[in-house]
Amino acid sequence: MQIELTPEQRDFQESAGRLAAELAAGWHRGRGPHDIDPPTPDDKAWSRIVDAGWLAIGLREEYGGFGASAVDLAVLVERLGYHAVAAPVVGTLLAIEQLQTWGAPATLLEEVAAGALRVAPALTPQLRDFATQPQQAVAWDAAGATTTFLPDQGRLCRLGEPLAYADLTRAVARVAEPTEAIPVTAPSDEATDRLTAFGLSLLVADLLGTMQAALDAAVAHAKTRSQYGRPIGSFQAVQQLLVDSHVLVEASRSASYYASWAVDALPGPEALRAARRAKAFASRSAVEVCENVVQVFGGIGMTWEAPAHVWLRRAQGDRLVLGDEQHHEATIAATEFAPPERGTDLATAD
Amino acid sequence: MDFTDDPEVAAFRHGLRSWLRDNVDAHAGATGFETAEAVARTHRWYRALAEAGYVGVSLPAAYGGRGLPDIYEAVVNQELAAAGAPPPPPIGHIAHAIADFASEELKARLLPGLLGCTEIWCQGFSEPGAGSDLASLTTTATADGDRFIVNGQKIWTSGAMWSRWCLLLARTEPDQPRHRGLSMLVVDLESPGVDRREIVLANGSKEFAEVFFDNVVVPADNLVGERGQGWRIAMHMLAYERGPADMGWVGRLGQVLGAALDAVRTGQLPADEPLRRRLAAAAVDLEVLGWHVARSLASRSSNVRTEAGSVDKLLTTRVEQNLYHVVSDLAGSSFVVGDPKPFADYLWSRAQSIYGGTQQIQRNIVAQRLLGLPRS
Repeated sequence: MQIELTPEQRDFQESAGRLAAELAAGWHRGRGPHDIDPPTPDDKAWSRIVDAGWLAIGLREEYGGFGASAVDLAVLVERLGYHAVAAPVVGTLLAIEQLQTWGAPATLLEEVAAGALRVAPALTPQLRDFATQPQQAVAWDAAGATTTFLPDQGRLCRLGEPLAYADLTRAVARVAEPTEAIPVTAPSDEATDRLTAFGLSLLVADLLGTMQAALDAAVAHAKTRSQYGRPIGSFQAVQQLLVDSHVLVEASRSASYYASWAVDALPGPEALRAARRAKAFASRSAVEVCENVVQVFGGIGMTWEAPAHVWLRRAQGDRLVLGDEQHHEATIAATEFAPPERGTDLATAD
Repeated sequence: MDFTDDPEVAAFRHGLRSWLRDNVDAHAGATGFETAEAVARTHRWYRALAEAGYVGVSLPAAYGGRGLPDIYEAVVNQELAAAGAPPPPPIGHIAHAIADFASEELKARLLPGLLGCTEIWCQGFSEPGAGSDLASLTTTATADGDRFIVNGQKIWTSGAMWSRWCLLLARTEPDQPRHRGLSMLVVDLESPGVDRREIVLANGSKEFAEVFFDNVVVPADNLVGERGQGWRIAMHMLAYERGPADMGWVGRLGQVLGAALDAVRTGQLPADEPLRRRLAAAAVDLEVLGWHVARSLASRSSNVRTEAGSVDKLLTTRVEQNLYHVVSDLAGSSFVVGDPKPFADYLWSRAQSIYGGTQQIQRNIVAQRLLGLPRS
């Protein structure tokens, strides 16, 4: 049993964190919604992301990639969440994993990993699952993307009009007409479970980074903001909000580690079982932590200028993608805790 | 990253499982602290476990342990919990205090009885006026030649009614600042001047007692470590006591959840969709707690960090108390009508946020020592 990150993973965490911080520093939210930078990285930022290998590391070795583990990718994505990076890396990683799970052609995957073809994953309108029909699909984390993938149709689709999205660091768009057909092979149930578990583990890592960043900022604020002649962080009522948040962050870190380890180490159904639990816990926790952080910031936490809303927005968006805690707990209730007279439950339908 | 057992741990676990299969039935029934018979059965269970070599496995082999890393203590707790067996004797923290601080003479004299469970021990820390603020304790042990004279009162002394020995934290240096004036002594509870009174808990348990000391004579040889070292030893012990990671708590709570799920799946207790979703949420929390304590144990270095233990305890408390709310609601009226056990178990879940450092004290520890917030 060796559960912390390896020295190599720590090095990767540090270098990824450095680039993530630099990318974040180039994105400005301005003085209000009218003044904000789009969540689309410019060409220079995108080529730095590509050059860092962030899109290619998850590509399997048979596709010319590095075959990085889900834990390695969680390390990267946690840092993207931590710096609230406005670039569609998580969406691209998810699309790549979906494409390779469906056996998409190597040339296509290489184009995506090289940043030349920008693909966003197509999700159902409730964001709970991968979409099957273009009319019933939205492309998620689609800033700068031109294409999405509908595997059941064996087609790539153009992106349609953009939709307003609460998370300022990502974009969402409608899915428009199909373009080219690509040869695909329907994956086994095992591989489908693993794909969902993988996607959930990325979102858990993004939630983890987001809540850790929010908490760190609130702790720093509580040490410097003074009222009644003392730092507000000396008041037990404030301390307890921060401590409860810290407990949730650490538990979510354990959940992130386990879920991403399970993607590669356990059979698909078990990995999915773990990932559902991790996503339910991290979704609930991230919102609670980010709300606590708004509270600790007080009035300034409600301003556009303060970053608290950026974290809360990212947490709420991530929470819904591939299912929030309500969805996963309903699924667990319906499948694992079913009473003898009923086997299924409509509440879990997307 | 690897959440699975190392081969040596897996082999140990396998051996313990097969021993439990053969021995739990003979010992598992009706242990506890409600009646004299239950207490006697509990002590028989402790001795059986000790004879099989599963008590104090992290203590040196020379004193009756097996010299294994701390994680093996956690494995014992986990496996006993998973098998539905009574818990092991709660003596690891006492044994580590003796083994790590006492003289060779004291170790040789006391550890075999402690680890063999032939002599029962208790820990005398809390006082009526010193609960969360332990360092304010006022029980005195006055040096008098080759002996100490002990006067004062202890409370919440687990197992004191049937213990032979008490590891006592008392003030020996009244002139010193409060943390430096304390020493750790081994007191024979059969000495003249010791008076014990049982405390009956709200759930009927008689595990705890008050202990009164009236001019009790303790030989100076029974001093553990040096005079004035008591606080340091106490903190060393609390680091062992405080970690829910070590206590198999996940397994115990897993039994509670498992029983609830069986009742739902078989239709024995009806559960509508909202209640089943709450059960699912409790299952999510418990699973995450299990991963978290595994991570805690795996990252544990030789110097145990009490602050991380506080995070574990805060998380455990949150998960446990919520779980009991859900299973109580599942029980419906049988929570309050008929068999008193479900209600007694629920009452005990309220103790999780009180004993071993209250929820509030744990939060203060994390706020100041981990988050670096200023003292209030």
